[in-house]
Amino acid sequence: MPKTETPPAARERALRAQIENIESESGAKAIAVALHDAETGFELHYKADRWFHAASTIKVPILLGAFAAIDRGELLPHSRVHVRNRFLSVVENVPFRVESGRDANSAVHNAIRKMMRVDELAYHMITTSSNLATNLLLGVIGPDAVNRTLKELDVDDGIDLKRGVEDELAFEKGINNMVTADGLLRILVLLSEGKAFSPALSRRMMDILHGQEFNQGIPARLPKGARVAHKTGEISTVAHDAGVVYLPKRKPYVLVILTEWGPEGTGRSRTIAAISHTIYEFLTQGPPDE
Amino acid sequence: MSSSPEFAANAGLNESPNFPLRVVDGLTLPPEYRKALKPGEEWKDSAGRLRQLPRYFYEIPSWDSAMKIELARNFLLWEFIQVDVREAPPLRTFPRYVPCAITLLAVCLDRFREAVGTLVHISANGGYRSPSHRFSKNATPHAWGTAANIYRIGDTYLDTRSAIERFSLIARETLPGIWTRPYGAPTGYAEDHLHLDLGYVLSVPRDVS
Repeated sequence: MPKTETPPAARERALRAQIENIESESGAKAIAVALHDAETGFELHYKADRWFHAASTIKVPILLGAFAAIDRGELLPHSRVHVRNRFLSVVENVPFRVESGRDANSAVHNAIRKMMRVDELAYHMITTSSNLATNLLLGVIGPDAVNRTLKELDVDDGIDLKRGVEDELAFEKGINNMVTADGLLRILVLLSEGKAFSPALSRRMMDILHGQEFNQGIPARLPKGARVAHKTGEISTVAHDAGVVYLPKRKPYVLVILTEWGPEGTGRSRTIAAISHTIYEFLTQGPPDE
Repeated sequence: MSSSPEFAANAGLNESPNFPLRVVDGLTLPPEYRKALKPGEEWKDSAGRLRQLPRYFYEIPSWDSAMKIELARNFLLWEFIQVDVREAPPLRTFPRYVPCAITLLAVCLDRFREAVGTLVHISANGGYRSPSHRFSKNATPHAWGTAANIYRIGDTYLDTRSAIERFSLIARETLPGIWTRPYGAPTGYAEDHLHLDLGYVLSVPRDVS
């Protein structure tokens, strides 16, 4: 029986229906997906302009901001930063600290009162999501500089950076970093295409994202040959994963999955992994036989 | 044997063998250094009073030399010049410049160290920092080389009220006229180190013209 092509629009409808199905079965309050496939040019934007609390995915724009400072010559990768656990809230400059128990990374906390290099902080900020490293880097470069960088690169739409992390006072006042799936997608496409400042600097940022140690989301149900450069984000109300998926013998695809949950919500990583697997199958398996 | 000044000079007695640093007039330094160090300029303190910044500096040729030069029996020069990326770019590479009053601070800290009986650790950005350092505000004495932020004494980290207040009291008892920042979180207080300073001391070496 000859194989017939399913029209692209029909295939996309089927993919959307699968994601809707995962969303309704998951119990999530909201799910957004943004996809760009460099191999085929296919794009999916599923509620991709909905705003979510960024959680730790905001560290990707901050990484971009740090490398912008390196590109401008204001920082060197080996520039040293004093590791001090004292930050000022955006609410009335009230001092606060990053609790060591809430940081998965002990290396940065162990360096308190000493110095760490900019590239070390960037690595810890992404690979183990160190909040202390994040606030230290943001303290050096400044939120305004990060936002200027996003604007200059034309990736500011869908990214709203207001503050560092662990600023509980700001959280209580509703002053949060926000992202859309499309916003993160644009940044990751830029990075994966080597267009953030220079191919060399883009590659360095991608190398850092490849070091991600939390792999329960996008990579969890991908085949062993898959490599994923990504950043997760999770707080009580959201769980996200955003990254670039490299498979053998094809160009990569960029995938952003943002999810929002009620306090009772469970199976967050499982839901992200299921969507990632659905996308993987969609992109790698040919159209179904009739 | 003659004890005239000429004899002493010829015999090298007016030189300290462990302190080979050249004194420079900040006003003669290249523009990028003058812009960062602001030698002799006035700067308002937090109360709006004008304070005159140091004009004379020791020139530190290398980190290696800073690691070797003793400012006091228990303090080497490097301990006073650790700065991070917030320092003005020309002042992050060698040669570096530090106000001549740094030696007075070192002697005071040495006396303090004898009083506490154990090692005294100065934090990064907590010794000399220029008036262009991003943390330097309101004529901070750090820009005079007369202030130190101490984060650890022996095995005690100074990040609690009891630790900071205990060693603050020892500092004030040991060093007449020393000023210590009170414990607390708001601006003007310190909660993760002991700040002590000698105020706005200007040191003008005898040999400068």
